Amino acid sequence: MITGHVALSELEQDALTEIVNIGVSRAASSLRKMIGDQVVLSVPSVEVVSQRRAARLISEREVVDLIAVRQDFSGPFCGRALLIFPETNSLELVRAVTGGALSAEEAVEMEQEALAETGNIILNSCLATMANMLKRSLSMTIPEVLRGNGATLFEIDETTGSEGLVLFLYIDFAVRQRDIRGYIAMLMDIPSLATLKQLLDEFISRIVGEDG
Amino acid sequence: MADEAIIGNADQLRAVLAAAGASGAWDWDIVRDRLTVDARFAELYGLGADAADQPLPTAAFFRAIHPEDRARIRIAVAGMLAGSEFFSKEFRIIAPDGAILWMHGRGRSQLDDQDEPIRFTGLLVDVTDRKRTEERLRIAQSAGGIGTFEYRDGFATVSVSSEFCRLLGLHPADRLPVRTINAVVCEDEEPLIPEDGAEPASIDSVFRIRRSDDGADRWIARRGEAMRDSEGSGYRLLGVIYDVTDAKLQETRLRELNDTLEQRVAQEIDERLRAEDALRQAQKMEAVGQLTGGIAHDFNNLLTIITGSVDMALRRLDNSADPRVGRALDNAMRGAERAAALTQRLLAFSRRQPLDPRAVEVPRLLAGMSDLLTRTITEAVAIAIEAPDDVWTIEADPHQLENAILNLAVNARDAMPQGGSLTIAAGNRQVAAHQSDESHVSPGDYVAITVSDNGTGMDADTLTKVFDPFFTTKEVGKGTGLGLSMVYGFAKQSGGSVLIDSALGEGTTVTLLLMRSVQSAEPPADAMDEREPFGSASETILVVEDDDDVRAYTVGTLRELGYRVVEAHDGASALALLDKQDQPIKLLITDVVMPRMSGSELAAAARARQPRLRILYTSGYPRDAIMRDGRLDSGVELLAKPFTFRSLAERVREIIDKG
Amino acid sequence: MPVTVLIVDDSKLARIVAGKALAELQPDWQKIEAGSGAQALELLGKERIEVALIDFNMTEQDGLELAGEIRALRPDMPIAIITANIQDEIIAQARAIGAAFIAKPVTSEGLAGFLTGAALKLRSSQE
Repeated sequence: MITGHVALSELEQDALTEIVNIGVSRAASSLRKMIGDQVVLSVPSVEVVSQRRAARLISEREVVDLIAVRQDFSGPFCGRALLIFPETNSLELVRAVTGGALSAEEAVEMEQEALAETGNIILNSCLATMANMLKRSLSMTIPEVLRGNGATLFEIDETTGSEGLVLFLYIDFAVRQRDIRGYIAMLMDIPSLATLKQLLDEFISRIVGEDG
Repeated sequence: MADEAIIGNADQLRAVLAAAGASGAWDWDIVRDRLTVDARFAELYGLGADAADQPLPTAAFFRAIHPEDRARIRIAVAGMLAGSEFFSKEFRIIAPDGAILWMHGRGRSQLDDQDEPIRFTGLLVDVTDRKRTEERLRIAQSAGGIGTFEYRDGFATVSVSSEFCRLLGLHPADRLPVRTINAVVCEDEEPLIPEDGAEPASIDSVFRIRRSDDGADRWIARRGEAMRDSEGSGYRLLGVIYDVTDAKLQETRLRELNDTLEQRVAQEIDERLRAEDALRQAQKMEAVGQLTGGIAHDFNNLLTIITGSVDMALRRLDNSADPRVGRALDNAMRGAERAAALTQRLLAFSRRQPLDPRAVEVPRLLAGMSDLLTRTITEAVAIAIEAPDDVWTIEADPHQLENAILNLAVNARDAMPQGGSLTIAAGNRQVAAHQSDESHVSPGDYVAITVSDNGTGMDADTLTKVFDPFFTTKEVGKGTGLGLSMVYGFAKQSGGSVLIDSALGEGTTVTLLLMRSVQSAEPPADAMDEREPFGSASETILVVEDDDDVRAYTVGTLRELGYRVVEAHDGASALALLDKQDQPIKLLITDVVMPRMSGSELAAAARARQPRLRILYTSGYPRDAIMRDGRLDSGVELLAKPFTFRSLAERVREIIDKG
Repeated sequence: MPVTVLIVDDSKLARIVAGKALAELQPDWQKIEAGSGAQALELLGKERIEVALIDFNMTEQDGLELAGEIRALRPDMPIAIITANIQDEIIAQARAIGAAFIAKPVTSEGLAGFLTGAALKLRSSQE
């Protein structure tokens, strides 16, 4: 994976994938506890791409409108994490996380808030686990619920010429018993990526140190 | 129970697992930090048979892993120990016999209430054969540009190969949503992956798509099979896609080719007819040129005799003679002069006139012509000459150029019987490579001399014939039909071209393109003495001419001028005379075209005997014998027939005086 | 006298989930909900409150700050910080102010340990 600024070695990419794996495993476990059903995860994909390409990667996969919970994080590396799913899945997810506690009307009423809390739990557990693995701390913003297509979610202005490079990471999840599927996506700025690379190297030497 | 019986027999279980491809199993106790493996695992890892089912240090897990894969697997295992749920990695191990085997390790972790992992268990499967097959398949796919897909009816996603994604311009992925795939198919095409749940009638089909990444329009073929795994289950579509754009385009091109065949044949025939016409025209011009050239030669000889004799008679006429004799002789002289001018034009047209090109400054030449033009053109026509000083120097025969311009001016005058304006302009013109066809000249720097009038103009039909010899729009007796063809011949012979632009009622513009010269113009010759320069008896001239009358006239004239003259009727006798002359010959005047020995052959032989001998050719029809590319060799003097008493006198004196 | 638990979270859903877990473990206990730190402090001044479950990630004032303020008022009150932000640093901060740490989503298993401890503490202080 080569870019103008930072290149992650194969091993660094493996390490990042693994850390993300741990994070999303934790997130999936949280989701499982919230809805009481099995949650299936895909292998995370990690790439350095332009912002626009990241938006395209999401919109290419989904023709329908999307809904997303967004949380920005900062610390030794910063970026943005999103929990994304088709808008048509939204109410089903709300029903699932609220279980029998709410009437159908209440569920509609609480949709926004329930999505925000779900996103909060899933993204926080994921990011916090990653921070712990890298032995650093991150601060996270209050979650925000957004609707739109890939470009609006990533706040990409199609008219600007500058295409900031980002580390784009996404993972599919699906709830077998219910028709719920979505993605967790994470974008990291390239300047942060340099720090991330350093942190990954530390992580690798902690793990592999003894025999390479 | 049968199951229990199998499980009860560990050896049998291992055999079944081995046959199924399962190569070993492990159980990693995270809390106690201990690893337990089965016999197959221990065997593969070379841990020894007694290591099976015994607690081992967890580091044993990595012992047999290929060094290049070890770090990667350590990281993955670290993930499992930190809370990742699934482990699925392919890696190489080095078996005790040194063989390298590809393993697929699959495992999962067991978490406690607090989400803390406590066990990590899994199975190793030998995938060496599959890896090789996959590699072969991958190479076959990418080399053949074939993408594979598998779709199960009712699923929202399709499992695809990376080549599949590449062919459609999609981001490489193992699974793609059906919608994403079908979005690249052009409208009004059926979807690539069926969406309505109905099994497609035929899987073999061709689709028009717009590639997602670069927007390119492509043709994609789909081939495959629909199968059912069991009665009542939905169908499964297993197929390949590949790009057939090139074949499609070729097919289209071929069809277009067929459709336009007739049209193209007609076009081809048309072009050929035009080329044939052009060739016929060129051949006609060449034939006419040869004919006129031949006539002109004989004619010039006759005219030399006529003008010479009339000239002589006029000069010998004394005052007491009948004045009518004088007038008659003057008339005869004018008639002969007109005949000579006509012959000159015939020669010019046939491009066989001897040209004496020199550097010419067109503005100066035009300025010198203004008197002549005003005399020739009626007062009803306003003449404007526009020739800026920065016009480049050209190389051309100035007399012939004047002649050409005069011809064009006369034509312009005749096109404006009610009067009008005539403009003669000169300007620089650069002909680029792409313009060279339309200008009929090779690319380069040219001076364009345009003669334009606002007269009657010509229609397209007339325009195609204007350069034909003897073609004239003028009334019978008014024109010879040689004007434009002479201009054309002159321009071509000078390495230039003539362009004509005209429409009925819109006037005519004729453009003469002449190549720029690298030399600068010579200063104009001093005005000539009014009197003919005489010779003396100490100057001997040898005249060689096969036509007795012409020779008699030439000899007579020279003697009258005071020269000593010897004569010969052919090359052989001329050389004999040269050999026995006690008095040196100053000048050899010889005809160019003579039987047996030509003028130039004679000149060469004479020069061999007497290197400093001066030579003057006389000719009414000088061909390649003395000309190269229609131009005289340098140092060769030529006097065109018919010549007059005066022109002969001046030329002979000039040559002898050069020393 | 039933024990009263204050649940502070700006998410209604989170309060419902925590309330459900609480009801499963201690059916007799009462709960009071607050949607923000300010509201929580106000309720503390008016009501008899014995236990606090506080969300960490809130808009106006974060849960650790609020817990610190409550700790200053009520040095012995059993307090738990509830969050999905399970970073080691957050856990350490919670410990530093004498608060328990409970990961979101709150389950009865996750809450059980804290409530058992709180019940014991309350009983001993009453004696």
